[in-house]
Amino acid sequence: MKILSLLCRTDLQSQLEKIRPKLYRVAYSWSHNAALADDLVQETMIKALQNSGQLRNPDSLNGWLFTILANCWRDYFRQHREMEDIEELEDYRCVDEFTPEDGHAQSQLVSRVRHAVSRLPLGQRQVLTLVDLEEFSYVEVSGILDIPVGTVMSRLCRARKALKSMLYELAPTTAKVSHIRRI
Amino acid sequence: MSKISDEYLNAFVDNQLDAEEKGLAFDAIGKDDALRGAVCEVRELKEMVRHAYQDPPGYRRLREKWRSRIQLQSLAACLMLLMVGGLSGWLVSTISESGTGRELGHLFQAISRSDRGSEPSKIMIYVGNANPVRLRAALDESENLLEDYRRDNQKLRLEIIANDSGVDLLRAGVSRYAGRIAMMQARYPNLSLVACTQTLNKLQRRGVAVRLLPNIKTVTSAADEIRKRLKEGWDYVRV
Repeated sequence: MKILSLLCRTDLQSQLEKIRPKLYRVAYSWSHNAALADDLVQETMIKALQNSGQLRNPDSLNGWLFTILANCWRDYFRQHREMEDIEELEDYRCVDEFTPEDGHAQSQLVSRVRHAVSRLPLGQRQVLTLVDLEEFSYVEVSGILDIPVGTVMSRLCRARKALKSMLYELAPTTAKVSHIRRI
Repeated sequence: MSKISDEYLNAFVDNQLDAEEKGLAFDAIGKDDALRGAVCEVRELKEMVRHAYQDPPGYRRLREKWRSRIQLQSLAACLMLLMVGGLSGWLVSTISESGTGRELGHLFQAISRSDRGSEPSKIMIYVGNANPVRLRAALDESENLLEDYRRDNQKLRLEIIANDSGVDLLRAGVSRYAGRIAMMQARYPNLSLVACTQTLNKLQRRGVAVRLLPNIKTVTSAADEIRKRLKEGWDYVRV
């Protein structure tokens, strides 16, 4: 039995290998911190291996892993933010925290989008990235984050409105250019 | 455009509508230029978000690290399968020469029973936080387990593994539980305490002089140690 369980585990690990980049991408889009995203994914992997017996339907592996990731992220906030009410997490913005983009890179599209996403309240950021990056259905997102489908829709809508505002309406129109002067 | 809500429009772009709803949405969009523009904007935003996280920092490094581990694990599983195949083949041939298949069943049961009796329980307790309540809970739980197993005359290996601010539990001059830990170490030789070297190096880089309590082991990475232990069949408790 031990051998069988080891082989099953090896099979699970090879599936985890395929999903790991996706988990990392989403963890990074939530935290905007490579080291933290790495830790979250590592923790997710450990919990997945530890609780692999709970996964009854192999087809739901993807959603199950992202649920674990979302729980790890909540645990991280519980331990490091010490918020009285965990619901405050949904509205938490990490603009005052470390963001990888520095001022010089603001004009670049990738940096601008990442910066704009990092300024969204966490609840909106999670829904947006699960839908846009991993193409989860609204029902699946509702299951992963344990929120009603209506909340998924409203958060997504607010997230996109805010992104549009930050990227189109408030975006710098011209980049600072240093002109060469003839002396 | 006012007939279609923003939520509905997003659901249309995200392909979340059923066939009938989608038909209605197509009709409305076809008649309304502003709505068509809004759909394009949502699609463009989606693409921009996707593009922004296509290759996040640190991704390649992770991929390579994980792949090399998986290859080793797969190799180990294959080797084990070969060994088990060989061993069971040998057993079958030996027993079929001397007796019946029934004896083979008894033999495997005996092996299984002796394995269960001789193998100690293996539990690791992970501490990643300097919250005094958690640190005390880690020691309380460990002590309870060690005492219970000793009372029942059962074998146990227990490892407390600390990283991040949890290493404060094991630092000389910082830990409030140095005396208690020393007493536990003396009373329970089956207890080991492990600190994460990565965390210690981080502290040293910040200019913090790090000294550990006596008889504390170190490992390169707590996360790797936990993964290794899980593969070895250890139980994992996060405090």
